[in-house]
Amino acid sequence: MIVKRLLLFIPLVLVLLLLQSFFWVPTYENQAAGNPNRLVTYIEASSGDAKILNPILNADSASSGIVNQVFEGLLDLDENLDLRGRLATDWQIFERAYLVVNPYHRFPDGTEVTGARLFQKIHAAWKTGTDEGLKNYVQSLELLPAIQREETVSLLLPSKEGRPQLKDVRVTVDVLERVAFTLSQVDQDLFDRLKPILGEQYFEHFPYEEMIRPQEDLTKEIEQALREKFPEILPVGEHNPTIVLHLREGVTFQDGHEFDAGDVKFTYEAIMNPKNLSPRTPDFEPIKTVEIVDKYTVKIIYKRLYSPAINAWTMGILPEHLLNDVALTREKQERGLSEDAQESFGMRDSQFNRHPIGSGRFQFVEWQGDEFIHLERFDTYWEGPAQYQDYFMRIIPELFTQEVEFRTGAIDFYGAQPHQVDRYKNDSTYQWFSSLGFAYTYIGYNNRKPLFADADIRKALGMAINVDEIIQYLMYEEGERTTGPYPKNTEWYDPSIQPLPYDPQEAQVIFHDAGWHKNEDGWLEKDGKIFQFNLITNNGNPIRKNLMIIAQNAWKKIGVKVNTQVFEWAVFLGDFVNTGDFDAVVLGWSMGIDPDLYQIWHSSQAGPQQLNFMGYTSQRADELIVRIRQEYNRDRQRQLTHELHRLIHEDQPYTFLYAPLSTRVLDKKIVLVQAGADGKEEYKKIYPMKSGDHTFLFHQWRKLEFTPDF
Amino acid sequence: MWNFILRNIGQRLILLIIVSFVAHSFIHLAPGEPSEVDPMNPRMKPEDIAKIRAAFHLDDPLHVQYAYWIRDLASGELKSFKDSQPVLPKIWDRFLNSLPLFILATILVWTWAFPAGIYGAVFRGGVYDRGTVFLSYALISVPGFFLSYLAILWVVGWFGVPVISIKTFGLEHAEPAYKMMDRVWHLVIPSVMAAIGGIAVLSRYVRSQMLEVLSQDYVRTARAKGLDEDTVIYGHALGNALLPFVTMFGLLLPGLIGGSVIFEQIFAWPGLGRLAYEAILARDFPIIMTLNFIAAVLTLAGTLLSDILYAVVDPRIRLH
Repeated sequence: MIVKRLLLFIPLVLVLLLLQSFFWVPTYENQAAGNPNRLVTYIEASSGDAKILNPILNADSASSGIVNQVFEGLLDLDENLDLRGRLATDWQIFERAYLVVNPYHRFPDGTEVTGARLFQKIHAAWKTGTDEGLKNYVQSLELLPAIQREETVSLLLPSKEGRPQLKDVRVTVDVLERVAFTLSQVDQDLFDRLKPILGEQYFEHFPYEEMIRPQEDLTKEIEQALREKFPEILPVGEHNPTIVLHLREGVTFQDGHEFDAGDVKFTYEAIMNPKNLSPRTPDFEPIKTVEIVDKYTVKIIYKRLYSPAINAWTMGILPEHLLNDVALTREKQERGLSEDAQESFGMRDSQFNRHPIGSGRFQFVEWQGDEFIHLERFDTYWEGPAQYQDYFMRIIPELFTQEVEFRTGAIDFYGAQPHQVDRYKNDSTYQWFSSLGFAYTYIGYNNRKPLFADADIRKALGMAINVDEIIQYLMYEEGERTTGPYPKNTEWYDPSIQPLPYDPQEAQVIFHDAGWHKNEDGWLEKDGKIFQFNLITNNGNPIRKNLMIIAQNAWKKIGVKVNTQVFEWAVFLGDFVNTGDFDAVVLGWSMGIDPDLYQIWHSSQAGPQQLNFMGYTSQRADELIVRIRQEYNRDRQRQLTHELHRLIHEDQPYTFLYAPLSTRVLDKKIVLVQAGADGKEEYKKIYPMKSGDHTFLFHQWRKLEFTPDF
Repeated sequence: MWNFILRNIGQRLILLIIVSFVAHSFIHLAPGEPSEVDPMNPRMKPEDIAKIRAAFHLDDPLHVQYAYWIRDLASGELKSFKDSQPVLPKIWDRFLNSLPLFILATILVWTWAFPAGIYGAVFRGGVYDRGTVFLSYALISVPGFFLSYLAILWVVGWFGVPVISIKTFGLEHAEPAYKMMDRVWHLVIPSVMAAIGGIAVLSRYVRSQMLEVLSQDYVRTARAKGLDEDTVIYGHALGNALLPFVTMFGLLLPGLIGGSVIFEQIFAWPGLGRLAYEAILARDFPIIMTLNFIAAVLTLAGTLLSDILYAVVDPRIRLH
């Protein structure tokens, strides 16, 4: 019967057809056999797909991984985390400053303030005065005439529904006569130096209302919001730090077009263009203007003192000729969009974001959504071509799947978890790295609560916890002790500060001295109240949960009663952290490389929804934080950060626990290929930099046919 | 007949609008914001978030947002929040990736379930029958993702070959035959995994359907005529037992979208199911809505097709 045979025959043949394909597929052992290109191909796994391949628009790690290969910034960070020139060769920082005539003020000698008199007095102090700073830094002075300008101010108004509304107000600003200073270096104390001449109160009682006039009638609410912006619209004393960048000549984009100052200015303007909705705006907002001096020189003038602002120029530079208005207009016409779509068409809609062209080491080839992104090396890169010919980022959402692919040789790198790394540590066909990142884990105390108001009590709580044991047993040695708010591998961290000792006896003495005594149940008690609080953390992080239990147990031993709770992230933030309604939390911070701690530690940032949710307030710390972000001299900045670090360590608003190490695994066949003394290739083992980054020399990486013996 | 079809299409169109509106409301009322306006991003200032919300029409009333969506979908200008790419071409690309997996899994289900079920029915109560009953209930009970993980571990552990995704990487410069066979190999495990559950379920239906048919009078008559057993089973019984399954073809259609979310996720297969899953995680409303809409269209079309097919293959049924 033919039907019966077919019913048996078809499924069997189908299965055999499918299974024979196994013999055509490469295996781990011979992945390069018959396919030598595999050795110059690098394949990395990513959990999520990239979203938008544009350095000014991307906000996710997958996109930035690709963007960093395709685009290049003016500067980047070298192996010691210092700034290094890339598209820029070198740069100078100096300052322009302005001082406006305050007509309602009188000089200490009683005379009225006029432009001429102001200029004359400052000039005299500069030429004949005793202030060394004024003499050394000021290079020239001039008196600028009064002008009138118009501008649009964006105000954020609180609304009844809770979501703030934006309101743009046009204002006319009368700028009276001003004295303009040119300084050889940025001097945040310039106006303080002038106070003996100007009088202590010169910068107060400035008649803003007369100088800044809105062009329409405003409601009370809007007027109030505008009033708060007055000192920003017309500063009495204005610092304009200025950076002059000299650009590398003869660099081309991957389409052959030459890179020049116009691209830098264009990139800045694209970020600030509200239509582009760039997430980089906060980094570039301190910039007042970007001027093209000549084809290879740009001058960047900042609105105010903010030294970390220069780090923003590590961001990739866009090619102007592909994204300016002419190019975008051409694109939208070629794509035949409807009128509505043409109307709203902007950089975000451009196909450029799917086919980026930059000036980095690798150029874009292809993007298959949720599958892979393919780059190939840019052969005419100014520093010479990379060793790898092809670069793939594969999108594999599951960590398990990533590991499986890693073991078949179908990917070269994935973000292995510590327990996965453990499996490779004893296998001689893999290499692994363990290094510090920019993160740390802490127990934070709500400094507003009377229970934690005393620094000694916070210190005693910290001394009761054995952090070394935590690192040993909880972190499997993948962590290092840390003592303050800066990442350990930056120069802002003061390595001479010793961590709190583990000393529960001493901790008990401190409690005793503060009036806490053990009651019958063994709990510390004062005025009939026992020392009791809630320790909370977020769900989904088993290490934090374990830390909480360890701390609870350690504190129990010295008589402190702690209740622990775990909440979903949204609840944890919404109901506790943002409202300040908690006692203590186990959390971590991931820091940047700049020394600015304003958002996390300044007392003005302790309101609801702000990041200083521990409510840390210290006048000296506030001063230091502001001085640090305004200081442009690296040595002075380092001294200040060390002082701040020590201050915070002494105050112990957090118990600083440890900085986790991050571990990474690679096929051991991947090595650094460097030119030896005799011109031959030399192979070296890959090593992590001070920043913990092992990919700094990625352009020298290549896969060998054999496993080298290092 | 034509009257019936036209009336049905009309009813289904109305239903489609209701379904899409309800789905639209549900998706927008569910907690969570598109990741582009996530208020937890410390770099985003409230001003920026307000601007993005306005650009996405997120603060408009629901029915206005629905109208915007219909308008953009109709004009083909609907764009994903995530990457501002047009939604329809994106879905089409993913559909082409899902198609081979879907077709192969379906072929596997339908070619394996019939012999398995028929033999179970013919040799009812035997070792084979009891074995397959046990096996199919075991396969129905064990979650597919669990079996998939085991399969991956075994294949990778024993053979060291890639099994994930649509093809092996780095094979761009290999011979075309190698490349093709590599693609076939990558289809094997996900499609077998996706088919296993289907085979288990469908073979149960086939078995019970066969059993019912085999107890009919005309089968006894055929046997009484002295026909050999194979002719009775494959000539007389099977054709009649197949009838209800013909209509199931129509119901396969919606499986194109939701059928393999889990397997596409585990095997990193860049198909429709994964597109939908990731869109949901990122609250990418235009993509979720459009996929939902297409799924609704396919379901309605599928049930209509079933009704018509039934009338075509079974002369006893007439549509009015």
